[in-house]
Amino acid sequence: MNQTSPSRLIGAAVDWVEARTGAIAFIAPLLTHHVPRNAKWWYVFGSATLMFFTIQIVTGVCLATLYAPSAAEAWESLRYIDEQVPFGWMLRALHGWSSNAMVVMMAIHMLQVFLHASYKFPRELNWVTGVFLLFTVLALAFTGQVMRWDQDAYWGLGIGASIADRIPVFGNQVRGLLLGGPIIGGETLSRFFALHVFVLPGAAIGLVGLHLALIMKNGISEMPKPGETVEPATYRERYEKRMEKDGVPFYPDAAQRDMVFCGACLVLLVVLAAVYGPFGPGGQPDPTLIDTNPRPDYPFLWIFGAVSLLPPASETAVMLVAPLVGVLVLVAVPFLSNAGERAPSRRPGMVLIASLAVMAIAALTWEGKTSPWSPVMDGWSALPTPGHFIDGRTPLQVQGANVFQFAQCRNCHSLDGLGGERGPALDAIATRMTPDQLMRQIQQGDGNMPAFGRNLDSAQMTALVSFLTTLRPDFEAPAMIPGAQLPLPVRSMPGEVTTPVAAGTR
Amino acid sequence: MSVLRVGFIVCAVVMCGASVLSTAACDRLPGRPAVEAVAAEGTAEWTTQVFNTSCRGCHAQGKEGSAVPLMDSEYWRAATDAQVVRAVLEGQGVLMPAFGPAAGGPFTPSQANALASGMRALWGGGLKPSTAISGTVQAGSADRGKSVFETACASCHGSAGSGGSAGSVTDPMYLRLISDQGLWTAVVAGRAALGSPAWNMPMPNRPSGLASAEVADVVAYLSSLRPRSASELKP
Repeated sequence: MNQTSPSRLIGAAVDWVEARTGAIAFIAPLLTHHVPRNAKWWYVFGSATLMFFTIQIVTGVCLATLYAPSAAEAWESLRYIDEQVPFGWMLRALHGWSSNAMVVMMAIHMLQVFLHASYKFPRELNWVTGVFLLFTVLALAFTGQVMRWDQDAYWGLGIGASIADRIPVFGNQVRGLLLGGPIIGGETLSRFFALHVFVLPGAAIGLVGLHLALIMKNGISEMPKPGETVEPATYRERYEKRMEKDGVPFYPDAAQRDMVFCGACLVLLVVLAAVYGPFGPGGQPDPTLIDTNPRPDYPFLWIFGAVSLLPPASETAVMLVAPLVGVLVLVAVPFLSNAGERAPSRRPGMVLIASLAVMAIAALTWEGKTSPWSPVMDGWSALPTPGHFIDGRTPLQVQGANVFQFAQCRNCHSLDGLGGERGPALDAIATRMTPDQLMRQIQQGDGNMPAFGRNLDSAQMTALVSFLTTLRPDFEAPAMIPGAQLPLPVRSMPGEVTTPVAAGTR
Repeated sequence: MSVLRVGFIVCAVVMCGASVLSTAACDRLPGRPAVEAVAAEGTAEWTTQVFNTSCRGCHAQGKEGSAVPLMDSEYWRAATDAQVVRAVLEGQGVLMPAFGPAAGGPFTPSQANALASGMRALWGGGLKPSTAISGTVQAGSADRGKSVFETACASCHGSAGSGGSAGSVTDPMYLRLISDQGLWTAVVAGRAALGSPAWNMPMPNRPSGLASAEVADVVAYLSSLRPRSASELKP
């Protein structure tokens, strides 16, 4: 003890603590346990998921110190965090992006485990705890979206509540339990805050601990090799022998790759947060504001897409039964087959199922992200009729263009690519529909289109149809009655030769 | 000991990175949410915002837009602010909806005033409303208007409802959709981008345009052709 360098002091302190707790003796085997040598970059996704979860806890605790979980103040407090608190917006951005990254990383991890059949004996319960973790994390993501307390949150809750309402017999009670009352109100936010900040993170931490304990107990699975089958009777013995002979210590061999990958993920996360910033808050959660286009967050867009495409008659059955079936199937995976081949090349059916699932979720996410299910509510008052549809028209047709705006056609139909996309673009409608067909369509509606017959008088209807019959590219013929060679009595463009029926009758 | 050292180095690098980020760049990163500036009522920015969301769908500029273009100066020479305020609050004619509080619309009278003077400041070209002619519809004689129409208007709009190169303005369907005030504004302001002259601009057969009394007569004539009820219409 004649030298008192800092490193010696630290060493002495560590020894002192170790003598009283045995912490190193506990941790050291965890770090040095042997893992398969060939477990290369495939095995980093679980660690990255855990890293994102840790970031969620740290940023979440910081946010909890700033956020006001009351319906009256939540939205304002987010604006306050974004605009006033130093680094506040960055904190929210990290929490939001890390949440999405955790879901993505978890999905990749799960996909890898599924493709390599790592869930087979003796790791069935690793998979089951993983499935529970998946649903816990998705629940965290949903309740986290509610924390924003904006229009997306409001309508997301509305959809959730109306799904709960569909449950037979107990629907009302379940909805009341979810919302803390019959409607979305102050208690709803408190309820979801408690779930998001206490219940679900607690459950997730417990499940992560269990998941890790099972990994220590059962070891990391080897890379699958065709022909090397899992036999429950002999698997453990063979695995242990192989690890003794061929394994490498987790730290530093495998941990290095984990660290490098996690580091890269961290850098990507910071870049995403710095460039794209936090999510929302969107508009005020006010049910009287209908000029809104609410969408759920990324992890739920595919469900949003799928539910929107359901035929109405099947909604209740699918919405209530599909989630149950999904959970059961996922939990059942290791019990349906826990022995035999693990290599993807020997399990083409499983590879096909995984590919189909990925493609379906990707396609439905795209659908949920891009589909124009909401009209452009201010289209009628904000998007003028393009000049080339006004130039050269008769006064009546120009009035028809006014009726087009007045009746809010533009909210659902685009001209020159601007306007709603619920209905078809009308730039060339006159090449597809005759005046009679247009008149019928507007008066009676069809499919998704409402009937306007009672809302427009005869002059408005005549002017509107007259305007619509001019919506065709030059040199393209107007629509005709099939089989008839003469066009219908179209209200002609000025200067055009008209059929005898058209001229002067109106 | 090497484990600790590596840990220290990692910590140091992360700390350095974080502090560099915080001091140098955080306020200028692209992800930082913009502080939403609500433009003060009456500023040009406010006028533009309100106009773009609530008016522009019909009243644009040049050939664009189906109703009187408010982003061109023509209209601002033909109309007074009071008239614009009334149209905004109470609507006008058949197709212009009321945006005032009585109709459940979004604009208060003070906002309508600010909007009218703001639009004039932006697009009026610095000109006051014309003193040569009223902005609002004046009484005239339909009989005299008929002969004015035949000489001054029919060369483009056709005589006796036959249309002509600019299309019919005597079409009963058209007249049902436009008020007398709308006709008045259309004649007085014209729409240069579409080739319609203002009232005092040269027209075929009328090198010096119309007199203000003639405008009143023509509007009275067109008004007299308007069917009074739907049953008079034969679509």
